[in-house]
Amino acid sequence: MFEPFTDVVPSFFGWINQGPLTLTIFLHTVIILPMIFIYFQEKKRLENEE
Amino acid sequence: MANKSVWSDNRFWQRSATWVTGFAAILLIWLTFDTSAQISMGTDKDIQNKVTKRVPGPTVINYKITYERSPKRGLEVPIIGGNDGKGNSLFQEKEKFFGRDDWSEKEARAMLHLGKLGSQAKNCMDCHTLLGNGAYYAPDLTKSWLDPMWEDGTMQAIIGGTLGKELSKEEAMAEFLQHPELYPTHARQMPNLGITKKEAIGIVAFLKQMSSIDTNGFPRNFGKMKGAINGK
Amino acid sequence: MANNHLTSESKQLATWYLTFAAILFGAQLLFGLIAAIQYVMPGFLYGILDFSIARILHINALVVWMVFAMFGSVYWLLPDETGIETIGIKVGKLAYWVFVAAIVVVVLVFLLIQVGPASDTTIWFITEGREYIEAPRWADIGIVVVALTFVANLFLTGMKGKQTGIVTVLMADMIAFAGLYLAGMFFTDNISVDQYWWWWVIHLWVEATWEVFVGAIAAYGLITMIGAHRKVVEMWLWIEVAMLFGSGILGMGHHYFWIGTPEYWWEIGALFSALEPLPLVAMFVHVLYDWGKTQGAQNANGDETSVITNKPAFIWFVLNAFGNFLGAGVWGFFHTLPQINLYTHGTQFTSAHGHLAFFGAYATILVGMMYLAVQGKNGIKVMKNTKTSIWAVSMITGGVMGMTVALTIAGYVQVIVSRAQMGATWAAYFDGQSGVWFTQAMDWRLIMGVITFLGFLLLAKDLLTTGKNPVHER
Repeated sequence: MFEPFTDVVPSFFGWINQGPLTLTIFLHTVIILPMIFIYFQEKKRLENEE
Repeated sequence: MANKSVWSDNRFWQRSATWVTGFAAILLIWLTFDTSAQISMGTDKDIQNKVTKRVPGPTVINYKITYERSPKRGLEVPIIGGNDGKGNSLFQEKEKFFGRDDWSEKEARAMLHLGKLGSQAKNCMDCHTLLGNGAYYAPDLTKSWLDPMWEDGTMQAIIGGTLGKELSKEEAMAEFLQHPELYPTHARQMPNLGITKKEAIGIVAFLKQMSSIDTNGFPRNFGKMKGAINGK
Repeated sequence: MANNHLTSESKQLATWYLTFAAILFGAQLLFGLIAAIQYVMPGFLYGILDFSIARILHINALVVWMVFAMFGSVYWLLPDETGIETIGIKVGKLAYWVFVAAIVVVVLVFLLIQVGPASDTTIWFITEGREYIEAPRWADIGIVVVALTFVANLFLTGMKGKQTGIVTVLMADMIAFAGLYLAGMFFTDNISVDQYWWWWVIHLWVEATWEVFVGAIAAYGLITMIGAHRKVVEMWLWIEVAMLFGSGILGMGHHYFWIGTPEYWWEIGALFSALEPLPLVAMFVHVLYDWGKTQGAQNANGDETSVITNKPAFIWFVLNAFGNFLGAGVWGFFHTLPQINLYTHGTQFTSAHGHLAFFGAYATILVGMMYLAVQGKNGIKVMKNTKTSIWAVSMITGGVMGMTVALTIAGYVQVIVSRAQMGATWAAYFDGQSGVWFTQAMDWRLIMGVITFLGFLLLAKDLLTTGKNPVHER
């Protein structure tokens, strides 16, 4: 299922770069997802304040 | 009163901004380690062991360099010392550089160092582009070592004709760099920047080494059409 | 200084910074004109002041005037935001003179000595030869010291006084801004490594830290000029910071497509930098929305007068919101995807983007800050437009827009002929340069450049005289 490596030197990020968008989706996800955690934490804080 | 929305809460956005900025910065640093390892300059040993580096070591000047399509990667890559037919370098075919093809690593490194220093001391980047970056007043130098104007002997004939002697490609280049004002090719001319002979040799070594850097196929179709077409 | 209404030393220092910035702005345009003439008449000043030197002065004056104006803007807003006088202002004033002296020496060396032998001495004392940051190493060190003084002033004041959201953002942003400069100070034989770190300075300045700076200044401007609510403005500011840094930091990948760096940067660079215009749209919406909201609230109370307390500055701020989106956002997106950038990289396309982005994103808001300083210094309550200020802003904006369009068109023929058709060789390059579209575009660029320069002269006149004009409410 994994694509053969085409770039000159194999590397972790090169490996995640499996096909169109895999690498960039991975990076966007790890940046954005924790915001959900922050959202619920802040929601709880606002509820407690009331 | 209805519950306050998190979406209009400053603290939520402040924390999100801090997280996003911090984590993006960490990812960039991680990527920098990964990339730095890949673009570190190779050594003579790498070339002896036929290891393809993105940025080959200075002794690459002892080899013939071409720029050919790699079927595997679907773009043009530098080929050093001959092509195995599949777009990989063989590191075999040598090419004389100022009369020698056995420059030691130390000698080649010294030439490259002088050339790179020279490229900065003469502000090359403020007229030319190098790896596509710089000013747009003069041609891109990324693959200038392989330019048809030198490959087909046009410039050697002009410069050698003026001096009354036969010149190799690298000798003609070094001569041009020292006295560009004597060999005008267009109304827009390179000025004399006081480049010495030794510096010129270094800069030519720098240009040859730069042409061996794997630039992911930039520029595309380099030199596939030769000569001028707009009627000059 | 007669009739000086400034009681704060920080604001006094701000006016020094902004004045020197305006002078350098003029120098930038003057050397730009020389370079533009050389495209049309290649023999102009050949061997005396070659294109490379005119261009170094053009782009370095640009960077330096903006840095001066940015420092000035921060010194201006600090007392308003924190409620106290800036701490360490004496050292700040000393640093100002060190900075000015260093810049004057660097400019004279660029003009008179120009190039040096291929040696470390040249790198230390004449030029580093790396686009935008050519300043020799001794000046680099001086700039870092001055920048650290400035950051220290900002931090000490921010920590002691009221630490608003705007000040918090500026503190974080300015320390990154100063620190990043260090990435551009070393020498290496490996040109790929060289350019890799060079972009840390250039990109992380203009596409990350400077943009966040603009967000903070715009927030300050909205509060002072139209009385926008701090809570609303600062929420927007945090959203902008998240979006700007979220897209801008890894958006750096769009400079790593072709410099020897691995292929995976294609994907990172393309899809992060494609998001870079989003915060710029947000800023545009935000400025106009806040204006409409405060004006609407005032009208609802039966007061039909304008909420704007500084008309010329506000025009420049609105131009910034729009110009940032158009110049940095749209013109940047034009060529940020690798499949397009393969052909546009290193052509006049980049130059078109550079002109409109630096103007739209930075020059506009910094000129706006100059008007705010003129207002404060002359104790004006409501500052109105004069004929000169309207002509100045119209001519400069029209001129830059015209240059951008001309350079974009010059870029077409370069991409089509020099790149796509002939593959970027020496002959290909000059074939593109001699195309009719290219040569005509360069004529137009020069004409538009002259208009911009005349507009600048009017701007200088207006900034110097409008403070005494009786039309303003005092």
